[in-house]
Amino acid sequence: MHNVDLNQLASLINKNVNGANATAHVPEDKKLDGSITVETSHVAKVCEWLRGNSEIPFNALQSISGVDYMEWMEVCYMFAHFDVAAPRELILKVKLTDRVNPNVDSIMKTYPAADFQERECYDMFGIKFNNHKDLRRILCPDDWKGWPLRKDYVAEKTYNGMDIYPDNKMNYEDRDYIVRQAMIKKAQETKAQ
Amino acid sequence: MQTRWDIGEPEKPTINADTEQMKSELLVLNMGPQHPATHGVLRIEIWTDSEIVAHAIPHLGYLHRCMEKHSENIDFRGVIPYVDRLDYLASMYMEWGYALTVEKMLGTEVPRRAELLRILTGELQRIGSHLMAFGTYALDLGAFSPFLYAFDYRERILRLFEEVSGARLLYNYIWIGGVWNDWTDEQLERVKTFCDDMEEEAKKYHELVSMNKIFVERTANVGVMSLQDCLDFGATGPVLRGAGYKWDLRKNKPYSLYSEFDFDVPVGTGEQGVPGDCWNRYIVRMKEVIESIKIIRQVMDKLEPGSIMGKVPKIIKLPKGEVYVRTEAPRGEIGFHMVAEQDQKTPYRLKVKSPCFTHISMLPRVAPGQMIADFVATVGSIDIVLGEVDR
Amino acid sequence: MNPHSTTHETASVKDYFGALFNGIKTTVVGMWITFRYVWGVKSVSIEYPEVREVLPERSRMRLFNDVQNCISCTQCAMACPVDCIYIASEKMPEGAEIKKTSNGQPIRLLLTQFTIDTALCCYCGLCTTVCPTECLTHSHDYEFSQYTIDGMKYDYLAPDVIAWRDRIVKV
Repeated sequence: MHNVDLNQLASLINKNVNGANATAHVPEDKKLDGSITVETSHVAKVCEWLRGNSEIPFNALQSISGVDYMEWMEVCYMFAHFDVAAPRELILKVKLTDRVNPNVDSIMKTYPAADFQERECYDMFGIKFNNHKDLRRILCPDDWKGWPLRKDYVAEKTYNGMDIYPDNKMNYEDRDYIVRQAMIKKAQETKAQ
Repeated sequence: MQTRWDIGEPEKPTINADTEQMKSELLVLNMGPQHPATHGVLRIEIWTDSEIVAHAIPHLGYLHRCMEKHSENIDFRGVIPYVDRLDYLASMYMEWGYALTVEKMLGTEVPRRAELLRILTGELQRIGSHLMAFGTYALDLGAFSPFLYAFDYRERILRLFEEVSGARLLYNYIWIGGVWNDWTDEQLERVKTFCDDMEEEAKKYHELVSMNKIFVERTANVGVMSLQDCLDFGATGPVLRGAGYKWDLRKNKPYSLYSEFDFDVPVGTGEQGVPGDCWNRYIVRMKEVIESIKIIRQVMDKLEPGSIMGKVPKIIKLPKGEVYVRTEAPRGEIGFHMVAEQDQKTPYRLKVKSPCFTHISMLPRVAPGQMIADFVATVGSIDIVLGEVDR
Repeated sequence: MNPHSTTHETASVKDYFGALFNGIKTTVVGMWITFRYVWGVKSVSIEYPEVREVLPERSRMRLFNDVQNCISCTQCAMACPVDCIYIASEKMPEGAEIKKTSNGQPIRLLLTQFTIDTALCCYCGLCTTVCPTECLTHSHDYEFSQYTIDGMKYDYLAPDVIAWRDRIVKV
């Protein structure tokens, strides 16, 4: 589906970017998409190479998405190549283990599209992008507290003196709500131990 | 590689004033489509020097509904009403993209008739969405009557959708594995008449608006998003095609049954103005309407009776892993990045790549040096729907 | 040269008058199209409160639950993406007669509450598709504005709401 041999691309990255430590993840299940994980500190260089190389270039950044796996966080860069002859996509990943102050280099210099995408990722996950020119919240209000798309996010009760979840509008007996709360509690307990 | 990002602090324009007492400073102005019924709610902070925009800063989030967070708590079927509300002017494409994502992970085979019906509704939706874009764009530029003509024809599409799916805007029609309801022969006949009428109507629109001298003067050579800019910012859809780049997922990376269909990909050729300006973006949309009609006619020939729902388990559980699926919506490529965990009834993470989000990020790039009235034309020409920008 | 070019510095007299003529021509063509609507095209709008459009059969308007056919299976509440359906049921009292729904399913539970918060409802129709006895349906009522948000909660066991049945349920 992706039209890219991930193993070949990973070895190319390793050859051209020193210390990138790219590893390809090709799932056994053919329905799923594979990805390439690179060293967090080298992502800017890898992206520069990805855009500028002549072998397997990617000329457009589609989106930057964060995924929170409780123990670590991932930033997924979705690249695409807009070329009639060889359309291709790539999911590039970096792993962030620090939940308190996660940071990764900005790729805004190479792909200006990253500007808003990184701001969104910062807004939702609190991942700081070094060297970003204007890193502030984009979808949430500037004075919002917390990182909403993290799994351990618990919504504030009030915002600027307003009730966020008025009792008469919440169905607290909602099954999923309870399940989610239990999951968060369990995660916090395991983290405390 | 040369970097093209250099906006920085707004530059103070030099004014050739012969007196020292004259003082000039930038004026901050808030602008933007503010009505939730058409484009959505957006605020663009523009710094102007008299009539000239020095700097534009988009402020998003006024329609943020936490759709990505919500979807982590809802089962896979229940997400469809939520993705409907992303781009509420082209809901079919949102559902389709999401359904394709889940089907790809499930490995579901969609029956042929369902695929054809999806293409039929999708292309009708594209016409409807482009009619809306046409009408509101003319409205943005001060022409009122095209809006009414476009709505007259859009109404016919909505009426058909209402009869088939039961709703006029947020359909919940394309389901995982197929489509909800079948079309009757009478409805398909009406689609045929609609196609014939629409072709005639499109000619009228061209006479009325496309070649109108005032419209051309307002849009040609205005808000030029060059091809290099479009690629830098990852623009897709009519914005990229308006810049003269022949890229359409339906043609270049066909999903569903699009490989069987014969249609052209219209690009901005600079008939008026230069490729990448507002007029070319507009004309690409109008030409796409004709291409959609072509596709619909081919669907009519291919349609055969059959099942409309594939085999989908009653409780959907996806394998552990991730997929990224892109589809070509009227406003550009909509992408769904789905991460699923084993034995979970809900998506672990659902990220939506929205086309208008990238297009809005190009505004600070295009705005400096434009007149305010031209900036209005530029914002209108990228045909934003804030529902999918803010999600 | 392109007659629509905006670079006027180099425009010759011919171009100037060409553009002028083009401007007048295209405006007249556009005005003529609009002018034809004065009598050539019949109006498409309807005068709403007096004239009402007949809704298509599948239209999804206010939900209605026919409680006599409800078997309290809670499938609708589980399918609902916004959780606006509240159902409560208890065991049938001993010795009570087990009724049957219109399609022959036995009602084994006593429905004690069936409330839908219409203010939360998103009219997606997922609840009606999972209903095994087809008692939960979208009616064609679309005029139900209320003064307070609590008024949007409909208790389908209340006698006045049950009385809608004759009007709504198409048997």
